[in-house]
Amino acid sequence: MSNRTLPRILQTPAVILLLIWMLVPLSMTLYFSFIRYVLNSSRRPEWMSPSLSNWRGFGNYQYVMEAKDFWFAIQNSVFIVSSILLITVVLGLGIAVLVNKSFPGRGIVRVLLISPFFVMPAVNAVLWINMILDPVLGLQGIAVSSINDTIDGLRDFPVLGAFFNLWPTFEPISFRATQTSAYAVIMMVAWQWTPFAVLIFMTSLQSEDESQKEAATLDGASPWSQFINLTVPHLARPIAIVVMIQSIFHLSLYAEIEIVSRGSGNKNLPYLIGEFTNNNIGAASATGIFAVILANIIAIFLLRMVGKSLMD
Amino acid sequence: MSTVSQSSKLGNVLWPALAWIVALVFFFPIFWLVFTSFKTDADAVKPEFLFSFTPTLENYTNMTQNYDYWRFATNSVITSSFATLFALVVGVPAAYAMAFNPSRHTKDILMWMLSTKMLPAAAVLYPMTFLTKNLLSIYDTHFLVILVLCLINLPIVVWMLFTYFKEIPREIIEAGKMDGVSTWGEIKDILIPLAWGGIASTALLTFIFCWNEAYWTVRLTTIDAATLSTLIEGNRAPEGLFFGRLAAVSTAAVAPIVILGWFCQKQLVAGLTFGAVK
Repeated sequence: MSNRTLPRILQTPAVILLLIWMLVPLSMTLYFSFIRYVLNSSRRPEWMSPSLSNWRGFGNYQYVMEAKDFWFAIQNSVFIVSSILLITVVLGLGIAVLVNKSFPGRGIVRVLLISPFFVMPAVNAVLWINMILDPVLGLQGIAVSSINDTIDGLRDFPVLGAFFNLWPTFEPISFRATQTSAYAVIMMVAWQWTPFAVLIFMTSLQSEDESQKEAATLDGASPWSQFINLTVPHLARPIAIVVMIQSIFHLSLYAEIEIVSRGSGNKNLPYLIGEFTNNNIGAASATGIFAVILANIIAIFLLRMVGKSLMD
Repeated sequence: MSTVSQSSKLGNVLWPALAWIVALVFFFPIFWLVFTSFKTDADAVKPEFLFSFTPTLENYTNMTQNYDYWRFATNSVITSSFATLFALVVGVPAAYAMAFNPSRHTKDILMWMLSTKMLPAAAVLYPMTFLTKNLLSIYDTHFLVILVLCLINLPIVVWMLFTYFKEIPREIIEAGKMDGVSTWGEIKDILIPLAWGGIASTALLTFIFCWNEAYWTVRLTTIDAATLSTLIEGNRAPEGLFFGRLAAVSTAAVAPIVILGWFCQKQLVAGLTFGAVK
Protein backbone atom coordinates (compact mmCIF):
# COMPACT_ATOMS: atom_id res chain seq x y z
CA MET A 1 0.00 0.00 0.00
CA SER A 2 1.42 3.35 -0.96
CA ASN A 3 1.95 6.29 1.33
CA ARG A 4 -1.04 8.07 -0.12
CA THR A 5 -3.84 5.52 0.01
CA LEU A 6 -3.61 4.45 3.63
CA PRO A 7 -4.31 7.89 5.15
CA ARG A 8 -7.26 8.21 2.83
CA ILE A 9 -8.67 4.90 4.02
CA LEU A 10 -8.21 5.92 7.65
CA GLN A 11 -10.21 9.09 7.27
CA THR A 12 -12.87 7.54 5.03
CA PRO A 13 -15.24 6.30 7.78
CA ALA A 14 -15.41 9.74 9.38
CA VAL A 15 -15.94 11.46 6.05
CA ILE A 16 -18.60 9.03 4.83
CA LEU A 17 -20.52 9.04 8.10
CA LEU A 18 -20.64 12.84 8.17
CA LEU A 19 -21.51 13.00 4.48
CA ILE A 20 -24.54 10.74 4.97
CA TRP A 21 -25.50 12.57 8.15
CA MET A 22 -25.44 15.85 6.28
CA LEU A 23 -26.81 14.95 2.86
CA VAL A 24 -29.68 12.55 3.52
CA PRO A 25 -31.81 14.62 5.92
CA LEU A 26 -30.85 17.88 4.22
CA SER A 27 -31.99 16.75 0.79
CA MET A 28 -35.26 15.56 2.33
CA THR A 29 -35.71 18.99 3.92
CA LEU A 30 -35.02 20.60 0.57
CA TYR A 31 -37.60 18.36 -1.11
CA PHE A 32 -40.28 18.97 1.57
CA SER A 33 -39.70 22.71 1.31
CA PHE A 34 -40.98 22.70 -2.26
CA ILE A 35 -44.17 20.67 -1.73
CA ARG A 36 -47.38 21.09 0.23
CA TYR A 37 -47.03 18.75 3.18
CA VAL A 38 -49.06 18.93 6.38
CA LEU A 39 -49.58 16.37 9.15
CA ASN A 40 -53.27 16.98 9.69
CA SER A 41 -55.76 18.22 7.17
CA SER A 42 -59.31 16.95 6.92
CA ARG A 43 -59.99 19.23 3.96
CA ARG A 44 -57.03 18.20 1.82
CA PRO A 45 -56.02 14.67 2.88
CA GLU A 46 -53.79 14.35 -0.21
CA TRP A 47 -51.37 16.87 1.40
CA MET A 48 -50.75 14.51 4.29
CA SER A 49 -48.12 12.42 2.55
CA PRO A 50 -45.09 13.77 0.71
CA SER A 51 -45.57 13.57 -3.03
CA LEU A 52 -44.32 15.42 -6.08
CA SER A 53 -47.90 16.01 -7.23
CA ASN A 54 -48.24 18.48 -4.32
CA TRP A 55 -45.50 20.67 -5.80
CA ARG A 56 -45.66 24.22 -4.49
CA GLY A 57 -42.49 25.78 -5.89
CA PHE A 58 -41.33 28.67 -3.76
CA GLY A 59 -44.76 28.98 -2.18
CA ASN A 60 -43.59 27.72 1.22
CA TYR A 61 -40.73 30.21 1.21
CA GLN A 62 -43.08 33.04 0.43
CA TYR A 63 -45.50 31.86 3.10
CA VAL A 64 -42.70 31.74 5.69
CA MET A 65 -41.32 35.16 4.80
CA GLU A 66 -44.78 36.62 5.29
CA ALA A 67 -45.36 34.78 8.58
CA LYS A 68 -45.41 37.27 11.41
CA ASP A 69 -42.65 35.76 13.52
CA PHE A 70 -40.12 35.03 10.80
CA TRP A 71 -38.11 38.26 10.69
CA PHE A 72 -38.46 38.64 14.42
CA ALA A 73 -37.02 35.14 14.89
CA ILE A 74 -34.00 35.93 12.69
CA GLN A 75 -33.34 39.19 14.51
CA ASN A 76 -33.80 37.52 17.85
CA SER A 77 -31.45 34.62 16.94
CA VAL A 78 -28.72 37.08 16.03
CA PHE A 79 -29.45 39.25 19.08
CA ILE A 80 -29.27 36.31 21.51
CA VAL A 81 -26.10 34.83 20.01
CA SER A 82 -24.20 38.11 19.79
CA SER A 83 -25.19 39.19 23.32
CA ILE A 84 -24.01 35.88 24.74
CA LEU A 85 -20.75 36.10 22.77
CA LEU A 86 -20.04 39.64 23.95
CA ILE A 87 -20.74 38.83 27.60
CA THR A 88 -18.81 35.56 27.68
CA VAL A 89 -15.73 36.90 25.90
CA VAL A 90 -15.45 40.05 28.04
CA LEU A 91 -16.19 38.27 31.32
CA GLY A 92 -14.06 35.29 30.29
CA LEU A 93 -11.04 37.49 29.56
CA GLY A 94 -11.38 39.33 32.85
CA ILE A 95 -11.78 36.18 34.92
CA ALA A 96 -8.98 34.33 33.11
CA VAL A 97 -6.57 37.17 33.89
CA LEU A 98 -7.87 37.23 37.46
CA VAL A 99 -7.19 33.55 38.14
CA ASN A 100 -3.96 33.41 36.16
CA LYS A 101 -1.97 34.85 39.08
CA SER A 102 -1.26 32.44 41.86
CA PHE A 103 -2.95 33.05 45.21
CA PRO A 104 -4.15 30.94 48.13
CA GLY A 105 -6.99 28.63 47.15
CA ARG A 106 -6.64 29.12 43.42
CA GLY A 107 -7.39 25.45 42.78
CA ILE A 108 -10.74 25.67 44.55
CA VAL A 109 -11.56 28.98 42.85
CA ARG A 110 -11.03 27.34 39.47
CA VAL A 111 -13.18 24.34 40.33
CA LEU A 112 -16.01 26.62 41.48
CA LEU A 113 -15.66 28.81 38.40
CA ILE A 114 -15.84 26.11 35.76
CA SER A 115 -18.70 24.16 37.40
CA PRO A 116 -21.55 25.91 35.49
CA PHE A 117 -20.13 24.54 32.24
CA PHE A 118 -21.00 20.99 33.33
CA VAL A 119 -24.67 21.75 34.06
CA MET A 120 -27.06 20.44 31.44
CA PRO A 121 -29.13 23.09 29.60
CA ALA A 122 -32.47 21.76 30.81
CA VAL A 123 -31.39 21.95 34.45
CA ASN A 124 -29.82 25.35 33.85
CA ALA A 125 -33.11 26.73 32.54
CA VAL A 126 -35.27 25.08 35.20
CA LEU A 127 -32.99 26.37 37.95
CA TRP A 128 -32.78 29.95 36.72
CA ILE A 129 -36.36 30.53 35.68
CA ASN A 130 -37.93 28.90 38.75
CA MET A 131 -35.64 29.13 41.72
CA ILE A 132 -33.76 32.32 40.89
CA LEU A 133 -35.75 34.56 38.54
CA ASP A 134 -39.35 33.77 39.45
CA PRO A 135 -40.98 37.11 40.34
CA VAL A 136 -42.81 35.70 43.35
CA LEU A 137 -41.29 32.44 44.54
CA GLY A 138 -37.74 32.77 43.23
CA LEU A 139 -34.86 34.61 44.85
CA GLN A 140 -35.64 37.65 42.71
CA GLY A 141 -39.18 37.89 44.08
CA ILE A 142 -38.02 37.32 47.64
CA ALA A 143 -35.25 39.91 47.31
CA VAL A 144 -37.53 42.55 45.79
CA SER A 145 -40.25 42.07 48.39
CA SER A 146 -37.78 42.21 51.26
CA ILE A 147 -36.28 45.43 49.89
CA ASN A 148 -39.79 46.88 49.69
CA ASP A 149 -40.54 45.78 53.26
CA THR A 150 -37.32 47.36 54.52
CA ILE A 151 -38.09 50.63 52.78
CA ASP A 152 -41.66 50.56 54.12
CA GLY A 153 -40.28 50.16 57.63
CA LEU A 154 -37.90 53.08 57.15
CA ARG A 155 -40.65 55.42 56.00
CA ASP A 156 -41.90 55.81 59.60
CA PHE A 157 -38.59 57.20 60.89
CA PRO A 158 -38.47 60.95 61.61
CA VAL A 159 -36.45 63.03 59.09
CA LEU A 160 -35.01 59.97 57.32
CA GLY A 161 -38.52 58.78 56.59
CA ALA A 162 -39.12 61.78 54.34
CA PHE A 163 -36.18 60.63 52.23
CA PHE A 164 -37.40 57.06 51.96
CA ASN A 165 -40.92 58.26 51.14
CA LEU A 166 -39.46 59.44 47.85
CA TRP A 167 -38.47 55.86 46.96
CA PRO A 168 -40.77 53.91 44.73
CA THR A 169 -42.06 50.45 45.51
CA PHE A 170 -39.98 48.09 43.39
CA GLU A 171 -41.69 45.69 41.03
CA PRO A 172 -40.15 42.27 40.33
CA ILE A 173 -39.56 41.53 36.64
CA SER A 174 -41.37 38.62 35.08
CA PHE A 175 -39.02 36.78 32.75
CA ARG A 176 -41.65 34.48 31.33
CA ALA A 177 -43.11 36.89 28.82
CA THR A 178 -42.23 39.28 26.02
CA GLN A 179 -38.68 40.48 25.38
CA THR A 180 -37.55 39.86 28.98
CA SER A 181 -37.48 36.11 28.37
CA ALA A 182 -34.71 36.68 25.82
CA TYR A 183 -32.74 38.43 28.59
CA ALA A 184 -33.35 35.47 30.88
CA VAL A 185 -32.05 33.10 28.20
CA ILE A 186 -28.99 35.30 27.57
CA MET A 187 -28.30 35.45 31.30
CA MET A 188 -28.48 31.70 31.89
CA VAL A 189 -26.53 30.70 28.79
CA ALA A 190 -23.83 33.31 29.46
CA TRP A 191 -23.55 31.95 33.00
CA GLN A 192 -23.01 28.48 31.63
CA TRP A 193 -20.55 29.36 28.84
CA THR A 194 -18.38 32.00 30.51
CA PRO A 195 -16.48 29.16 32.24
CA PHE A 196 -15.77 27.64 28.83
CA ALA A 197 -14.24 30.93 27.68
CA VAL A 198 -12.26 31.11 30.93
CA LEU A 199 -10.92 27.58 30.37
CA ILE A 200 -9.68 28.34 26.87
CA PHE A 201 -8.25 31.78 27.74
CA MET A 202 -6.56 30.43 30.87
CA THR A 203 -4.75 27.75 28.89
CA SER A 204 -3.39 30.24 26.41
CA LEU A 205 -2.46 32.81 29.06
CA GLN A 206 -0.20 30.15 30.53
CA SER A 207 1.66 29.95 27.26
CA GLU A 208 2.23 33.71 27.14
CA ASP A 209 5.83 34.79 26.86
CA GLU A 210 6.73 36.08 30.33
CA SER A 211 10.08 37.54 29.22
CA GLN A 212 8.26 39.92 26.88
CA LYS A 213 6.20 41.15 29.80
CA GLU A 214 9.25 41.61 31.98
CA ALA A 215 10.92 43.63 29.26
CA ALA A 216 7.79 45.75 28.98
CA THR A 217 7.77 46.33 32.74
CA LEU A 218 11.41 47.45 32.61
CA ASP A 219 10.52 49.84 29.82
CA GLY A 220 7.94 51.33 32.15
CA ALA A 221 4.81 50.05 30.42
CA SER A 222 1.75 50.13 32.66
CA PRO A 223 -0.10 46.87 33.41
CA TRP A 224 -3.04 48.12 31.35
CA SER A 225 -0.94 48.86 28.27
CA GLN A 226 0.75 45.47 28.69
CA PHE A 227 -2.66 43.84 28.72
CA ILE A 228 -3.80 45.71 25.59
CA ASN A 229 -0.56 45.47 23.60
CA LEU A 230 0.76 42.03 24.58
CA THR A 231 -1.95 39.88 26.14
CA VAL A 232 -4.90 40.73 23.89
CA PRO A 233 -3.03 40.08 20.59
CA HIS A 234 -1.78 36.81 22.09
CA LEU A 235 -5.40 35.90 22.81
CA ALA A 236 -6.74 36.76 19.33
CA ARG A 237 -6.81 33.14 18.24
CA PRO A 238 -8.39 31.72 21.40
CA ILE A 239 -11.04 34.45 21.15
CA ALA A 240 -11.77 33.35 17.57
CA ILE A 241 -12.10 29.75 18.78
CA VAL A 242 -14.41 30.66 21.65
CA VAL A 243 -16.59 32.74 19.29
CA MET A 244 -16.76 29.95 16.75
CA ILE A 245 -17.58 27.07 19.10
CA GLN A 246 -20.15 29.11 20.96
CA SER A 247 -21.83 30.27 17.74
CA ILE A 248 -22.22 26.64 16.74
CA PHE A 249 -23.96 25.82 19.98
CA HIS A 250 -26.04 28.98 20.48
CA LEU A 251 -27.47 29.26 16.98
CA SER A 252 -29.41 26.10 17.80
CA LEU A 253 -30.55 27.05 21.32
CA TYR A 254 -33.81 25.34 22.08
CA ALA A 255 -34.26 23.84 25.54
CA GLU A 256 -33.75 27.16 27.32
CA ILE A 257 -36.23 29.00 25.09
CA GLU A 258 -38.76 26.21 25.48
CA ILE A 259 -38.49 26.09 29.26
CA VAL A 260 -38.39 29.86 29.89
CA SER A 261 -41.46 30.95 27.95
CA ARG A 262 -42.42 28.29 25.42
CA GLY A 263 -41.29 30.78 22.81
CA SER A 264 -43.75 33.49 23.73
CA GLY A 265 -42.12 36.81 22.85
CA ASN A 266 -38.81 35.05 22.40
CA LYS A 267 -38.31 32.81 19.40
CA ASN A 268 -35.23 31.96 17.42
CA LEU A 269 -35.20 30.17 14.09
CA PRO A 270 -34.97 26.63 15.54
CA TYR A 271 -37.92 27.37 17.77
CA LEU A 272 -39.97 28.71 14.87
CA ILE A 273 -39.15 25.55 12.89
CA GLY A 274 -40.29 23.51 15.88
CA GLU A 275 -43.62 25.33 15.90
CA PHE A 276 -44.18 24.78 12.18
CA THR A 277 -43.22 21.11 12.57
CA ASN A 278 -46.35 20.56 14.69
CA ASN A 279 -48.34 20.61 11.48
CA ASN A 280 -46.96 22.40 8.45
CA ILE A 281 -43.89 20.41 7.37
CA GLY A 282 -43.54 22.37 4.13
CA ALA A 283 -43.20 25.65 6.00
CA ALA A 284 -40.95 24.08 8.63
CA SER A 285 -38.63 22.81 5.89
CA ALA A 286 -38.53 26.17 4.13
CA THR A 287 -37.65 27.83 7.44
CA GLY A 288 -35.03 25.12 7.91
CA ILE A 289 -33.43 26.04 4.59
CA PHE A 290 -33.36 29.69 5.69
CA ALA A 291 -31.67 28.60 8.92
CA VAL A 292 -29.09 26.63 6.91
CA ILE A 293 -28.39 29.72 4.80
CA LEU A 294 -27.99 31.92 7.89
CA ALA A 295 -25.70 29.35 9.51
CA ASN A 296 -23.60 29.16 6.36
CA ILE A 297 -23.14 32.92 6.16
CA ILE A 298 -21.90 32.89 9.73
CA ALA A 299 -19.88 29.71 9.19
CA ILE A 300 -17.95 31.05 6.19
CA PHE A 301 -16.97 34.10 8.19
CA LEU A 302 -16.01 32.14 11.33
CA LEU A 303 -14.22 29.27 9.63
CA ARG A 304 -12.09 31.69 7.67
CA MET A 305 -11.15 33.39 10.91
CA VAL A 306 -10.12 30.13 12.58
CA GLY A 307 -8.87 28.23 9.56
CA LYS A 308 -6.20 30.76 8.61
CA SER A 309 -3.55 29.47 10.98
CA LEU A 310 -4.83 25.93 11.39
CA MET A 311 -2.16 24.20 9.30
CA ASP A 312 0.93 26.13 10.48
CA MET B 1 9.19 53.09 45.60
CA SER B 2 7.14 52.87 48.75
CA THR B 3 3.88 53.55 46.91
CA VAL B 4 4.64 50.72 44.54
CA SER B 5 5.15 48.19 47.31
CA GLN B 6 2.08 49.48 49.14
CA SER B 7 -0.12 49.14 46.11
CA SER B 8 1.18 45.67 45.41
CA LYS B 9 0.55 44.72 49.04
CA LEU B 10 -3.00 45.93 48.64
CA GLY B 11 -3.16 44.01 45.39
CA ASN B 12 -2.03 40.87 47.18
CA VAL B 13 -5.18 41.03 49.27
CA LEU B 14 -7.65 42.52 46.80
CA TRP B 15 -6.74 40.25 43.89
CA PRO B 16 -7.51 36.93 45.61
CA ALA B 17 -10.53 38.48 47.34
CA LEU B 18 -11.97 39.54 43.99
CA ALA B 19 -11.23 36.12 42.47
CA TRP B 20 -12.99 34.40 45.37
CA ILE B 21 -16.02 36.67 45.12
CA VAL B 22 -16.36 36.07 41.37
CA ALA B 23 -16.00 32.31 41.87
CA LEU B 24 -18.64 32.23 44.61
CA VAL B 25 -21.06 34.30 42.52
CA PHE B 26 -20.64 31.88 39.63
CA PHE B 27 -21.08 28.86 41.84
CA PHE B 28 -24.04 30.27 43.75
CA PRO B 29 -26.83 29.01 41.44
CA ILE B 30 -25.52 25.45 41.75
CA PHE B 31 -25.26 25.81 45.51
CA TRP B 32 -28.82 27.13 45.57
CA LEU B 33 -30.09 24.19 43.55
CA VAL B 34 -28.51 21.67 45.93
CA PHE B 35 -29.63 23.72 48.95
CA THR B 36 -33.25 23.81 47.73
CA SER B 37 -33.21 20.07 47.17
CA PHE B 38 -33.05 19.54 50.95
CA LYS B 39 -36.28 21.47 51.55
CA THR B 40 -39.79 20.03 51.32
CA ASP B 41 -41.89 21.31 48.42
CA ALA B 42 -43.87 23.46 50.85
CA ASP B 43 -40.82 24.97 52.59
CA ALA B 44 -39.03 25.68 49.32
CA VAL B 45 -41.40 28.49 48.33
CA LYS B 46 -41.75 30.19 51.72
CA PRO B 47 -39.50 33.24 52.22
CA GLU B 48 -39.50 32.73 56.01
CA PHE B 49 -37.77 29.37 55.49
CA LEU B 50 -35.18 30.84 53.13
CA PHE B 51 -32.29 29.82 55.35
CA SER B 52 -33.84 28.34 58.48
CA PHE B 53 -35.62 25.10 57.72
CA THR B 54 -35.42 21.47 58.70
CA PRO B 55 -33.33 19.72 56.07
CA THR B 56 -34.92 16.62 54.69
CA LEU B 57 -33.85 13.82 52.38
CA GLU B 58 -37.40 12.95 51.38
CA ASN B 59 -36.98 14.50 47.90
CA TYR B 60 -34.18 12.06 47.24
CA THR B 61 -35.79 9.02 48.82
CA ASN B 62 -38.97 9.66 46.82
CA MET B 63 -37.09 10.37 43.61
CA THR B 64 -37.36 6.85 42.23
CA GLN B 65 -41.10 6.78 42.67
CA ASN B 66 -41.69 10.43 41.61
CA TYR B 67 -39.51 10.47 38.55
CA ASP B 68 -38.23 6.99 37.70
CA TYR B 69 -34.77 8.58 37.90
CA TRP B 70 -32.67 5.43 37.51
CA ARG B 71 -34.08 4.42 34.18
CA PHE B 72 -33.22 7.81 32.65
CA ALA B 73 -29.83 7.89 34.36
CA THR B 74 -28.96 4.43 33.04
CA ASN B 75 -29.90 5.54 29.52
CA SER B 76 -27.70 8.63 29.86
CA VAL B 77 -24.73 6.56 31.00
CA ILE B 78 -25.14 3.95 28.25
CA THR B 79 -25.69 6.38 25.37
CA SER B 80 -23.01 8.89 26.41
CA SER B 81 -20.36 6.21 26.99
CA PHE B 82 -20.90 4.35 23.75
CA ALA B 83 -21.24 7.52 21.69
CA THR B 84 -17.94 8.81 23.11
CA LEU B 85 -16.26 5.48 22.48
CA PHE B 86 -17.45 5.25 18.86
CA ALA B 87 -16.58 8.88 18.15
CA LEU B 88 -13.03 8.14 19.32
CA VAL B 89 -12.78 4.90 17.34
CA VAL B 90 -13.73 6.76 14.16
CA GLY B 91 -12.01 10.02 15.08
CA VAL B 92 -8.54 8.83 16.15
CA PRO B 93 -7.57 7.21 12.80
CA ALA B 94 -9.01 10.15 10.86
CA ALA B 95 -7.12 12.72 12.94
CA TYR B 96 -3.98 10.57 12.73
CA ALA B 97 -4.14 10.52 8.95
CA MET B 98 -4.79 14.25 8.76
CA ALA B 99 -2.03 15.21 11.17
CA PHE B 100 0.77 12.97 9.86
CA ASN B 101 -0.10 12.51 6.20
CA PRO B 102 -1.78 15.77 5.26
CA SER B 103 -2.73 16.25 1.63
CA ARG B 104 -3.66 19.54 0.07
CA HIS B 105 -7.30 18.80 0.81
CA THR B 106 -6.82 18.09 4.51
CA LYS B 107 -7.62 21.60 5.62
CA ASP B 108 -10.74 21.71 3.46
CA ILE B 109 -11.94 18.37 4.79
CA LEU B 110 -11.42 19.53 8.35
CA MET B 111 -13.25 22.80 7.72
CA TRP B 112 -16.06 20.94 5.97
CA MET B 113 -16.41 18.58 8.94
CA LEU B 114 -16.76 21.55 11.27
CA SER B 115 -19.29 23.14 8.96
CA THR B 116 -21.57 20.08 9.34
CA LYS B 117 -21.71 21.02 12.99
CA MET B 118 -23.15 24.38 11.94
CA LEU B 119 -26.08 22.67 10.23
CA PRO B 120 -29.04 23.67 12.42
CA ALA B 121 -30.52 20.54 13.97
CA ALA B 122 -34.03 21.92 13.75
CA ALA B 123 -33.72 22.18 9.97
CA VAL B 124 -33.47 18.41 9.63
CA LEU B 125 -35.61 17.38 12.59
CA TYR B 126 -38.66 16.30 10.65
CA PRO B 127 -36.75 14.26 8.02
CA MET B 128 -34.88 12.53 10.84
CA THR B 129 -38.13 11.70 12.65
CA PHE B 130 -39.66 10.52 9.38
CA LEU B 131 -36.65 8.36 8.48
CA THR B 132 -36.18 6.79 11.89
CA LYS B 133 -39.86 6.28 12.67
CA ASN B 134 -41.42 5.31 9.36
CA LEU B 135 -38.60 3.88 7.28
CA LEU B 136 -35.97 2.42 9.60
CA SER B 137 -38.03 1.80 12.76
CA ILE B 138 -35.17 2.77 15.04
CA TYR B 139 -36.99 5.69 16.72
CA ASP B 140 -36.59 5.70 20.51
CA THR B 141 -33.80 3.10 20.57
CA HIS B 142 -30.41 3.29 22.27
CA PHE B 143 -28.82 2.58 18.92
CA LEU B 144 -30.29 5.74 17.38
CA VAL B 145 -29.33 7.98 20.31
CA ILE B 146 -25.78 6.61 20.32
CA LEU B 147 -25.48 7.07 16.56
CA VAL B 148 -26.75 10.65 16.63
CA LEU B 149 -24.65 11.66 19.64
CA CYS B 150 -21.59 10.15 17.97
CA LEU B 151 -22.24 12.00 14.70
CA ILE B 152 -22.94 15.42 16.18
CA ASN B 153 -19.72 15.26 18.20
CA LEU B 154 -17.48 13.68 15.58
CA PRO B 155 -16.40 17.00 13.99
CA ILE B 156 -15.25 18.41 17.33
CA VAL B 157 -13.56 15.12 18.23
CA VAL B 158 -11.58 15.03 14.97
CA TRP B 159 -10.64 18.68 15.28
CA MET B 160 -9.48 18.43 18.91
CA LEU B 161 -7.48 15.26 18.24
CA PHE B 162 -5.96 16.78 15.11
CA THR B 163 -4.67 19.78 17.06
CA TYR B 164 -3.09 17.48 19.69
CA PHE B 165 -1.55 15.10 17.19
CA LYS B 166 0.01 17.98 15.29
CA GLU B 167 2.03 18.86 18.41
CA ILE B 168 3.73 15.46 18.32
CA PRO B 169 7.02 15.65 16.41
CA ARG B 170 6.65 13.86 13.13
CA GLU B 171 10.08 12.24 13.50
CA ILE B 172 8.84 10.00 16.29
CA ILE B 173 6.15 8.55 14.03
CA GLU B 174 8.59 8.37 11.08
CA ALA B 175 11.07 6.46 13.25
CA GLY B 176 8.40 3.86 13.88
CA LYS B 177 7.92 3.55 10.14
CA MET B 178 11.64 2.93 9.61
CA ASP B 179 11.51 0.14 12.14
CA GLY B 180 8.82 -1.51 10.06
CA VAL B 181 5.99 -0.94 12.52
CA SER B 182 2.55 -1.33 10.94
CA THR B 183 0.13 1.57 10.86
CA TRP B 184 -2.02 -0.06 13.52
CA GLY B 185 1.12 -0.54 15.61
CA GLU B 186 2.03 3.12 15.14
CA ILE B 187 -1.36 4.22 16.40
CA LYS B 188 -1.52 1.73 19.25
CA ASP B 189 2.08 1.77 20.54
CA ILE B 190 3.37 5.22 19.64
CA LEU B 191 0.54 7.68 19.03
CA ILE B 192 -1.95 6.73 21.73
CA PRO B 193 0.59 6.64 24.61
CA LEU B 194 2.11 9.95 23.46
CA ALA B 195 -1.20 11.74 22.97
CA TRP B 196 -2.91 10.14 25.94
CA GLY B 197 -3.61 13.47 27.66
CA GLY B 198 -5.19 14.93 24.55
CA ILE B 199 -7.29 11.84 23.91
CA ALA B 200 -8.47 11.81 27.50
CA SER B 201 -9.59 15.43 27.46
CA THR B 202 -11.29 14.92 24.10
CA ALA B 203 -13.14 11.94 25.53
CA LEU B 204 -14.09 13.92 28.62
CA LEU B 205 -15.45 16.89 26.69
CA THR B 206 -17.36 14.60 24.31
CA PHE B 207 -18.88 12.76 27.24
CA ILE B 208 -19.98 16.08 28.77
CA PHE B 209 -21.54 17.22 25.49
CA CYS B 210 -23.33 13.87 25.09
CA TRP B 211 -24.66 13.88 28.63
CA ASN B 212 -25.96 17.44 28.30
CA GLU B 213 -27.34 17.14 24.76
CA ALA B 214 -30.96 18.26 24.85
CA TYR B 215 -32.20 18.65 21.29
CA TRP B 216 -31.91 15.29 19.57
CA THR B 217 -32.17 13.14 22.66
CA VAL B 218 -35.46 14.78 23.63
CA ARG B 219 -36.94 14.72 20.15
CA LEU B 220 -35.85 11.27 18.94
CA THR B 221 -36.96 9.37 22.02
CA THR B 222 -40.15 8.86 23.97
CA ILE B 223 -39.63 6.36 26.77
CA ASP B 224 -37.28 3.46 26.10
CA ALA B 225 -34.13 5.41 25.27
CA ALA B 226 -35.01 8.75 26.92
CA THR B 227 -32.13 10.37 28.81
CA LEU B 228 -31.97 12.73 31.78
CA SER B 229 -32.50 15.80 29.54
CA THR B 230 -35.92 14.43 28.63
CA LEU B 231 -36.72 13.77 32.27
CA ILE B 232 -35.95 17.37 33.30
CA GLU B 233 -37.55 19.03 30.28
CA GLY B 234 -40.70 17.00 30.78
CA ASN B 235 -41.00 17.81 34.48
CA ARG B 236 -40.12 21.49 34.74
CA ALA B 237 -42.15 22.97 37.57
CA PRO B 238 -45.39 24.68 36.67
CA GLU B 239 -45.20 28.05 38.45
CA GLY B 240 -43.29 27.01 41.50
CA LEU B 241 -44.99 23.80 42.50
CA PHE B 242 -42.66 21.04 43.62
CA PHE B 243 -39.50 23.20 43.82
CA GLY B 244 -38.00 20.80 46.34
CA ARG B 245 -38.38 17.59 44.41
CA LEU B 246 -37.50 19.33 41.13
CA ALA B 247 -34.30 20.62 42.70
CA ALA B 248 -33.47 17.13 43.93
CA VAL B 249 -33.93 15.41 40.58
CA SER B 250 -32.03 18.23 38.84
CA THR B 251 -29.18 17.85 41.30
CA ALA B 252 -29.14 14.12 40.66
CA ALA B 253 -29.12 14.75 36.89
CA VAL B 254 -26.08 17.04 36.92
CA ALA B 255 -24.15 15.60 39.88
CA PRO B 256 -22.37 12.77 38.01
CA ILE B 257 -21.04 15.08 35.32
CA VAL B 258 -20.15 17.97 37.65
CA ILE B 259 -18.22 15.64 39.94
CA LEU B 260 -16.47 14.02 36.98
CA GLY B 261 -15.60 17.52 35.77
CA TRP B 262 -14.15 18.47 39.16
CA PHE B 263 -11.89 15.43 39.22
CA CYS B 264 -10.71 16.00 35.68
CA GLN B 265 -10.42 19.78 36.01
CA LYS B 266 -6.62 19.79 35.64
CA GLN B 267 -6.89 17.63 32.55
CA LEU B 268 -9.42 20.02 31.02
CA VAL B 269 -7.40 23.13 31.82
CA ALA B 270 -4.32 21.61 30.26
CA GLY B 271 -6.07 20.01 27.34
CA LEU B 272 -8.85 22.26 26.12
CA THR B 273 -7.05 24.36 23.54
CA PHE B 274 -8.62 23.52 20.18
CA GLY B 275 -5.28 24.49 18.71
CA ALA B 276 -5.49 27.94 20.29
CA VAL B 277 -2.00 27.73 21.77
CA LYS B 278 0.95 28.10 19.47
